[in-house]
Amino acid sequence: MASIVLRGVTKRYGKSTEPAVDDVDLDIGEGEFVVLLGPSGCGKTTTLRLVAGLEQATGGELRFDDQVVNDVPPDRRNVGMVFQNYALYPHMTVFRNLAFGMQARRTPKSEVARRVHDIAELLGLADLLDRRPKELSGGQRQRVALGRALVREPSVFLMDEPLSNLDANLREQTRLELARLHRELHITTLYVTHDQGEALTLADRVVVMNGGRVAQDGTPDDVYRRPADTFVAGFIGSPGMNLWTLPWEDDGAAVSLGGALRLPRAFLPALERTGRTVTVGVRPEHLVAADEPAAAEGRLHLACRAELAEHLGSHVQLHARLDPAGGPEQRVVARLGASHRTETGNVTRLAAPASAVHLFDPSTGRRIFEPLTGRRVGTSELRVVEDRRHTGRGSHESERAGHLRDQAPATAQIRTAPSDAVTGARTTAPVLAPSEVAHR
Amino acid sequence: MSNLLTDVRPERRTSPVRRVLERGSGEHPRNRLVPPRLRRLKDRLTAYGLMLPVTAVFVVFFYVPAAYLFYIAFFHWGILSSATTFVGLHNFRVLFAQPLFVRSLVTSAYYTLVMIPATVLLALGIALLLKDGLARRGGSIWRGAVFLPHVTPVVATAIIWVWIFNPRFGLANFVLTSMGLPALGWLQSVHWALPAVMIDSLWHSLGLYVIIFLAGLASVPRELVEVARLDGARRHQIFSRIIWPLISPTTFFVVVLSTVNTWQAFSQIYTMTGGPHGGAGGPAFATTTDALLVYQTAFVYGHFSLAAAMSLVLFGIIMTLTLIQRWVSNRVVFYR
Repeated sequence: MASIVLRGVTKRYGKSTEPAVDDVDLDIGEGEFVVLLGPSGCGKTTTLRLVAGLEQATGGELRFDDQVVNDVPPDRRNVGMVFQNYALYPHMTVFRNLAFGMQARRTPKSEVARRVHDIAELLGLADLLDRRPKELSGGQRQRVALGRALVREPSVFLMDEPLSNLDANLREQTRLELARLHRELHITTLYVTHDQGEALTLADRVVVMNGGRVAQDGTPDDVYRRPADTFVAGFIGSPGMNLWTLPWEDDGAAVSLGGALRLPRAFLPALERTGRTVTVGVRPEHLVAADEPAAAEGRLHLACRAELAEHLGSHVQLHARLDPAGGPEQRVVARLGASHRTETGNVTRLAAPASAVHLFDPSTGRRIFEPLTGRRVGTSELRVVEDRRHTGRGSHESERAGHLRDQAPATAQIRTAPSDAVTGARTTAPVLAPSEVAHR
Repeated sequence: MSNLLTDVRPERRTSPVRRVLERGSGEHPRNRLVPPRLRRLKDRLTAYGLMLPVTAVFVVFFYVPAAYLFYIAFFHWGILSSATTFVGLHNFRVLFAQPLFVRSLVTSAYYTLVMIPATVLLALGIALLLKDGLARRGGSIWRGAVFLPHVTPVVATAIIWVWIFNPRFGLANFVLTSMGLPALGWLQSVHWALPAVMIDSLWHSLGLYVIIFLAGLASVPRELVEVARLDGARRHQIFSRIIWPLISPTTFFVVVLSTVNTWQAFSQIYTMTGGPHGGAGGPAFATTTDALLVYQTAFVYGHFSLAAAMSLVLFGIIMTLTLIQRWVSNRVVFYR
C-alpha cells in the first residue's frame, strides 16, 4: 500500500487560461478510501489521471510514499485503474484480459495462471475465463475490470466512475462488493464519482471539487453537516441545501431576513460579520411544518407559498416560493412528513432547528460559523469561525465548532393560511402571517 | 350584421388531433375514393420512376458492356464486322500460348506483391506518425500534404515523375549521385522501370490509405491504450497486441482495395512508359501488366475477343484473390 500526497498540483491543457486542476493539495493515507466528488468538468478525473501518470502535471508535486513521481511513467507507479467504460480488451478472453499486464511484464506462466485463478475466484469469474467481453453482462464486465486492476496487486487502486454504466440494482450490489473488497484488501483507493450516494457510503474521506479546486476535504459526515461553502452545500444532498440570500435586521425579538424569514438573536454575532446581507442555508430534510409563528425560542421560521407538493410515498417534497420584501423571489424545497397536505398557492409555515441553520458570506460563498450540533448547551456558545479557505480536513473544523441549544420541538404541525389572506399581508411583509408582521 | 367569426363554416374547423391523424395515416380525403391496389401501384411507379435515370446510366455504361464482354470472349468478334463466330475456349487457349500474356501476369503479380505490403506498411506508418507525433505540430497541414497527391490527376503526377526519373537531368539521379551512388536508367532500364512506376503509384495512392488507417486508428478507444500502459506494456507490445488486432478490419479493407487497384493499374504505366506516342509497357515489356496488355490487344492491335478473354482472366484472378482474402479474414480479422 502507498500513501499519496499532492502539493499545489496544477494541470493546464495547451494554451488554456483556465486550468483543469488548480493548485490542489491532497493527502491520502495508506489504505484509505478517498472519493473525489464533483459535477462534470470539475477536474476530478484529471486529478485521478495525474495520479495514474496518464497526464503530466504542469505544476506542483505528486508523491507516492515520499517519492516524487511527477516524471515516473504509469507502468512504474504500480497503480491499478478501473475506467468508466471498463476498457476491456475486446479481442481477448477474460483470462487474457486478466493476464495481459503480467504477460507484458514477462511474469512466469505458472504464476500468471495462479494469480488469474485466485482473482477469478475472489470475484466470481472462474466460469467466465474463456469468454470475450461482448459475451458478458455489464456487471460481469465490471468485475473483470476490477480483477484486471487487482491481479497485479497494485499499491494504489484508482477508479473512474466505475458504477456509472450499471443499472440501479447492480450499482448497489457492486457498491457493497467494492466496500467488501476494500475492507479485505485494504488498498489505498482513489475513487472518482459525481454520485454523492456512492461517495458518502463508500468513502473514508470525501474531497468535493469545483472549478479544478478542492472545495472541501472531509469525512462524509463533515461535507454533509458542515459544508465549507455554498457550492458544497448545494451539491451535497438530494435535493441540495436551500440557500437564501437576504438582508437582515435585528427587531429586538429576533433577526428578520427580508421580512420572509426569522432567526433567533443568538445568530447576531455571526451575522454582524457579514454586512447587511447573509446567505442562510437549511437542508430540505431539516425543515418541518410549523404551527407557531413565533420568533420564539431558537428556531428558524419562514412562511412560503406552496407551488407543488410531490407525494413520494415515504414523504412529501414541497416546492415553494419565498417572497422577501424588496428582493427577488427565492425557491424553497422541503421534505415533509408523508401526511402533509397543502394546496397550491397556500402559505405554508416551515421551521428548522437552529442546529440545522448554516450561514454563508454572500460575497465569498464561504461558511461564516460552524454548524450547531444539537447538544443542549447555551446559545451564548455560538462561536464565529474565521472566514478561511476550507482546503484542510473537515475534522479540524469540527474541533472548533460552536454549539447552540436546539430548541426545536420533536414534531410540528402544518399551518396554512388562505392565499387571499396572505395576499393582503404581502404589501408589508410578503409571506409572513399578520401576527408575525405585528411582532416585527 | 354579418360577423366574421360566426360566418366561418363549422365543417372547415378540423380539430388539431384529427389533422394529425389524417396526416399520419396518409389518408387525405381525396384518396378515400381510390382503391388501395391502385394507390400501391401508383406509389411503386413513382419509386421506379425516380430510380430510372441512374439505373439507366448503370445499365448502359456498366452492366451491358460487362455482359457483352462475356459474350465476345467466346466468339470471334471484330469492331467493324457484324459477323460473329462461336469459338468456345479458343481465345483462352491462344492467350495462354502467348509468352507475353504469361509474362504480363507475372509482372502484374510482382507489381501487386510489392505494392500491397509497401502500401500497408507505409500508409500505417505515416498514419501512426500523423496520429501521435505530427498531430501536435500542424496535424491538419501534414494530413493535407499526404492526401494532396491522391486528388491530383494520375496523368499529371505521372508526367512529374517522368521528369524526376529522367536519367540525365532528373531529381532522382541528382539525389543518388549527391550521395555518391551510381545513377540509374530508371524508366529506360528493364530492371528499374517497374520500381519507378511503383514509386509513382505509391506516392499517388498512399494518401487515401493513410486517411483510411487514420480513421481505423481513431476507432481504437484511448482507454485501451492507457490500460495497457498502466499494465506495463511497452510501445511495441501495445501496437502488436492491442492496436494491430483492433485495426485488422481496416487493414483487411486496405489490402482488398489495394489488390484491386494494383491489378487494374493502367494510367500511370501507360503515361510513364510510352503515352499516346506508343511503346507503353516498355522497355522490352518490363512494365507490361495485364491491364495494359488488355488495352493494347483491344485498341492497338484490334483483337477484341482476345482482350475480352484477358479481361475475364483478370476478373477471375481478382475474384479469387478477394475470396482468399475473405477466407483469411474470417480467421485473423477481429470485428467488434
